[in-house]
Parts: sequence; structure tokens; C-alpha cells
Amino acid sequence: MRPLLPALLLLVAAAAANAAGGGQQPVAKVNVSTTRDPVDKSYRKMIQGMERFEREHALAPSAPLRFQLLPRMPGLKMDGISLRVAGDTVSVPVTIAPDNSFVLPRNEQALREDAAVLANRKTTSMTWRALIRSPGLAPDTRRLGDLRLECRVGAEAGLVSNNSQLFAWLSNALMSVDQVCNSPEGNYLFFADRPLFGVRLRAGARVEDLPFKMLYAGGEQTPEMLRFCDCQVLLDRTYYAPLWDKSWPDDTIVEFDYMTDAAPAADAQEAR
Amino acid sequence: MKTVSLLLCAALLAGCAIGQATPGTQVAAERLAASIVPGRTTKADLLATFGKTRSVVFDSGYESWLYQSPAGGGRFSEFVVLIDPAGVVARTRQRAPALP
Repeated sequence: MRPLLPALLLLVAAAAANAAGGGQQPVAKVNVSTTRDPVDKSYRKMIQGMERFEREHALAPSAPLRFQLLPRMPGLKMDGISLRVAGDTVSVPVTIAPDNSFVLPRNEQALREDAAVLANRKTTSMTWRALIRSPGLAPDTRRLGDLRLECRVGAEAGLVSNNSQLFAWLSNALMSVDQVCNSPEGNYLFFADRPLFGVRLRAGARVEDLPFKMLYAGGEQTPEMLRFCDCQVLLDRTYYAPLWDKSWPDDTIVEFDYMTDAAPAADAQEAR
Repeated sequence: MKTVSLLLCAALLAGCAIGQATPGTQVAAERLAASIVPGRTTKADLLATFGKTRSVVFDSGYESWLYQSPAGGGRFSEFVVLIDPAGVVARTRQRAPALP
């Protein structure tokens, strides 16, 4: 990580000064294994997320795992994105679907080299999520078990960066998956496909609407705070799900009531 | 170590500070339902009749406003109003009473 580099350089400089001073001590050798930018997505972390998906697949037994890129900065063009796993000596292209989702390939060399997952966009201009959708769900719905697993994979993979980038690495280091995904204070944000007016939970005969405070990133983001949220340009699509509330089973259906009807073009696309 | 922990906490708080949520203005549910008509009631009407309340303004120009209605036992129902970019109420919805 970049914050460690100055310390390492100081160590090298101190060792060199000691040698120049005529000391007989052998010069300490420091190997810097990577220069990956701390705001880049870590390939190792994302693979760890994939491993958690395998371990906890029972939450969404029939769903595959994909990752997805979403816009974070205003005016960002989200078409024509390319992605690769980049290590010191290895570069592995990643195929991106039209919805900017992808499957991350496994590569042992990239793992050894602590590679980064890089897009041809500024890293901080996008946000990343796990995408786990059980097949056969009705349109405009999600399944709570899928969301629970998305949170656990996303948190493990270090995908969310809601803090200032300077402290994002620290936050990721201190927040456990359970703190993020098993607590009402966890604040793992989900994004619907379109702007939301309401979200309803349905489990058998039990039906409840999410409160206002679980929409729009809590509904309390000031413009100053919003720039630290990866919901910056998708605020109207955000919601929290009661991941921690075991009284809602994994098969709970999460229904979206969008602000407006889908545009005709979107309808045609969904029908394909 | 304690100092380091405090510094770490301060650093994290600097990145993710969350403001105090303002609860929605309290108005009787019947009054809201009778006064707010989608397609006709405007933002100016809401301000004049009920005053400012908790709201979120989106880049699209839409706004979502929250009113709360006392429902007894310390519970409140929610009345959410969607205002379109022209400043006219587009939709409303109510959420059953719950503890705040």
C-alpha cells in the first residue's frame, strides 16, 4: 500500500546512511512487492470475496456470482469500459457484459503478484458491487438471501468505498464482514435498476414497506457528505435491506416501486 | 496504543460522518390524505399548508418529502410525497404505523 512506501524508503535510506558512515553492518534489503495504488481494487481481495461466495452459497443456492461496475462521478460515460487484472508481469483481460457486469477469472500468477483489477476509467469515478441474482424472479424484485450474500461478498472483496479515499483502506481493514452485514448499523448500500419511490418486503403473508430512512442512503446526505458516498450519482436508486433481521427469511422477496414507469426503450430491452 | 486508536476513530469519523436526521413534520394522516392530490398539488401548496419537512432532492429534479402522522403508542405512520421536476406532486404513499 502506498502509505507504507515512505516508511520503507526511510528504512532503506537509514540503512544506506549507516553503510556510508563506514559501519560494517550489512545493508538491509527491502523488497517492495507491489506499487498497487490503494484505491485500486485488489485482485486478492476480490478472490477472497469469491471464496466467501463459495463458502456461503447456501444463502443463494441457485445464483451465480458476478461483479458489476456502477457510476460514481457525475457525467461518467459507462459504455466501452475495459477491465484487466494487472500484476507486475501479468495482464489478464476481463470480459465486460453490456450491463457492466463481469466474472473475475482466476489466475495464480496474478494472485502471487498481488495484482490490481483496473478499468480504463479513473478508479474513483466508479463504484463496484457483487451481483448475485437467483434465476426466475419476477421483474423488479430481488431476493433477500441474494442481497445478504452480495453484502458478504462485497464486504470481503473490499468493493465499497464510502469514506474518503485517504481512509478507505483503513476502514476496510477495521470493519469486519459481520459488522457490515449483520448489524443494523452496517450501512451496506444496494442499488436498484431505476430511481425508487418505495421498497416492500414480502415473506408469505407478512408484508412491510421499508421506512424512509432505509431509502436514499438514509435520506440525510448533505451535498458535502454525498461526495464521500459511492451513491453520489445514484442516490435515488439506493436502499438498505434488513440483512441482519433473521425474522425475514432468505426467500423474502424485495419488491421495487419505481418513481416512474419504465421508458419504452427500457421495456423493449427487458423483454429481450 | 490508546492514542493510535483514538486517531483511527477520528480518521474514520472524518470520512463517514452522518448528520442528525430531521424527522418529518407531524401532520394528521387524514389531513394529508385529504389535502394532497397527485397531479394537482404543488410544492408551494405543501410548503404553505404544512411547512418544511424532511426531504431529499435528486439530480433528476425529483424530490421526495416525508411527513409523519402520530398513530398512538409512540408510533408514527409515514406519508411520502414524490414531487416531479415541475414542482407538482406526482405520487404519494403511506407506510403503516411503526415505532420511529
